[in-house]
Amino acid sequence: MFRLEGQDRVHAGRLAVIWVILSVIGIVAALQIHYPPYDNSVQGADQSKTMALMTVLAVPIFIGVVLMLVYSAIFFRRRGLELVDGPPMLGNTPVQVAWIGISAVVVLFLAVVGITTLASSSAAQAVGAAGRAIGQSGETGSSTAGGQGPELQVQVVAQQWYFTYRYADYGGVETTHLYLPLNRPVELHVTSLDIIHSFWAYQLGVKADANPGVDNVFHVTPDKLGGFQVRCAELCGIWHGHMADSDGRVVSQSDFDAWIAQQQKDEADIQKALPSYAPYYFPEPLTKGS
Amino acid sequence: MLGRLAFVAGSVVAVIVATVALVGLFMLQRPGTLEGPSTSIHLETVAAVGAAIEWPRPNDPHLDWVSYLPTTILRVPANSTINVQIDQEDGATGLRNPFWGKVFGTDGGNMHVKYFDDKGNPQEGDMTSIDPTLAAHTFAVPDLGVFVPLLGISDNAPAGSANIITFSFKTKGPGVYRWQCFVPCAAGTVFGNGGPMQTLGYMAGELIVS
Repeated sequence: MFRLEGQDRVHAGRLAVIWVILSVIGIVAALQIHYPPYDNSVQGADQSKTMALMTVLAVPIFIGVVLMLVYSAIFFRRRGLELVDGPPMLGNTPVQVAWIGISAVVVLFLAVVGITTLASSSAAQAVGAAGRAIGQSGETGSSTAGGQGPELQVQVVAQQWYFTYRYADYGGVETTHLYLPLNRPVELHVTSLDIIHSFWAYQLGVKADANPGVDNVFHVTPDKLGGFQVRCAELCGIWHGHMADSDGRVVSQSDFDAWIAQQQKDEADIQKALPSYAPYYFPEPLTKGS
Repeated sequence: MLGRLAFVAGSVVAVIVATVALVGLFMLQRPGTLEGPSTSIHLETVAAVGAAIEWPRPNDPHLDWVSYLPTTILRVPANSTINVQIDQEDGATGLRNPFWGKVFGTDGGNMHVKYFDDKGNPQEGDMTSIDPTLAAHTFAVPDLGVFVPLLGISDNAPAGSANIITFSFKTKGPGVYRWQCFVPCAAGTVFGNGGPMQTLGYMAGELIVS
């Protein structure tokens, strides 16, 4: 039977007390952090909560490891010039069982959290309570583009080196900035006209690959008014670092209606030259003069 | 032993020389700056640097590259109106995204174009958009919201002629604003967006607002 005796018992007790105190302080501190991508959308809030959960679970483990190192450096350091081996240590079954058991519990707990979140997202989609899922399959040609579902359909069109947006529910009007109505579930269809990009609306918690010939579907429900930034998160050429737009806006439904009507009016002349709204487009022309 | 030392020393020297050459001859090389004492910019677009009419660069290492000339590094004053004239000598390629056939962000939301029609007759007028398939290039400063499509020269236009596109736009505060072309006009590169499209001094540029 594993028993601590003498000085070992003192050290273990001291370590346990310090660990508990520091862990409590660390967890309280960790809960004060405002985790990115913050809570400007339902999905962003989910991600922030997951980050908080991960951090709270990691804090006691981090403190335990660091505390053991520091404590050992202070109390078990070599005190003289003479080099002396420590006492030999053989396998310790209770410690090993505790180690593996605790690790397994933590990992399984996180797995259950992840699976439950994914399952609830799928369930939400299935019953039409859209806006909870982070992402869906990006199979080529699997789009529901142009569909009049409960979600606002917005196509994100990446190209070297700018994002434009097409609103399927509004005649496929294309815009230079992304405006979204408050509290309305949005189905983003992310694609590219040339090479691989990545659409990253950081404050909304959306990051989706933009691949040519692929309709990558993501969902987001903005729940706070204000601005957000869009940028490319995939190295895509000389102006990759500039492929950003700080003028994304979450606005009220009435403001959105006025804005989209203005866009349709302003761009009526070029609208007729745009191709029909499609899940994706292939690069055309392929090169100069073709 | 001495031979090995000499080999190592030589290798070190070679690496240093190569690094200095890379940094000095390539990474630090930048095209000249067009510093306008006024707020006017005059540019030329050509299908090949070697075919330039107004600003020839006979010693350019890429004579067959499409390019804006004489440079793509432009220095302009902040919070000012910039008058731009582009002498567009290249033929049409067509826009990959037809949306960029529309003029955005210029004063009045339009541009003035002197061009040659299908029959080679000179024409002139204000335009708010062009047929996207007839675009040769665009002058786009996305962070200023400026997007101007440039009409390709007609096949029947007189030899050595150009479409003259003029427009004005306003700068914001100081900063470095990239500008680019949205037409896949870099012949022979991946999706037409390599080579000159990714190289300062050709189809990639900076608008230095100070």
